[in-house]
Amino acid sequence: MTDASKAPLPKARPRPVYRNIGFGDLARYRLPAPGIASILHRVSGVGLFVGMLIVLPLLAMSLKSDAGFEAFRGMVWGNPLGRLILIALLLAVVYHLVAGIRHMIQDANRWLDLATSTRTAWATMLISVVITAIVVARVW
Amino acid sequence: MAGKNESAITEWWLQRLTGAVVGLYVVVLIGLLLVHGAPNAEQWRALFANNTFRVLTLLALVSAFYHGLVGVLHVWPDYVKNRAVRAVLVGASWLAFIAYSAWTVVILFALKS
Repeated sequence: MTDASKAPLPKARPRPVYRNIGFGDLARYRLPAPGIASILHRVSGVGLFVGMLIVLPLLAMSLKSDAGFEAFRGMVWGNPLGRLILIALLLAVVYHLVAGIRHMIQDANRWLDLATSTRTAWATMLISVVITAIVVARVW
Repeated sequence: MAGKNESAITEWWLQRLTGAVVGLYVVVLIGLLLVHGAPNAEQWRALFANNTFRVLTLLALVSAFYHGLVGVLHVWPDYVKNRAVRAVLVGASWLAFIAYSAWTVVILFALKS
């Protein structure tokens, strides 16, 4: 009879030992993709809520008169800063929507394992950039 | 009176419902943009002259403001620990929600000649 307690244990994988981390180690710490997707959902949401301070005056201006509409067009499309802000707002709303759909699918207990969640996080970012690019290309 | 858990569940559902309303509106707007391109003044005026579209726009925007209010009220406490600053942010968020909503009514309905 062999003594089970004397059987050789499977060799343990060497585990990392953390004593103190330096700047070199900091570069290896990354937020995982689902974390990036989550923080972008927050940033885009807060950005849109605050961004209404830009959107509402522009909407008012565009509806006031034909001259107002032309002034609105000049502001949002006639100069690089206006275009940049408009494209950023569009990207924010598209991203927030796509990420919101992913969020609700995860509410239903689907796509929750890390591998799937990572893939859908990257897909969310890619899809929203593509949709935004298509819309911008259409109205450019 | 609804208990704390009940109101949290109501809020959870309202957040998804308002999100869906805004999402549908955004999809329709993007669809219109893709089909017709950027509107000129006349097309833009015609779109907003339609009362149904105006009411749907009001519904979508107020849904968006409520959705944003609930969102930021959950976000602030995660980053702001100072009670006074938090209180100011909560007050400002509610004020923004009310002001945005009232402003939208004025833009869509009161300014029309």
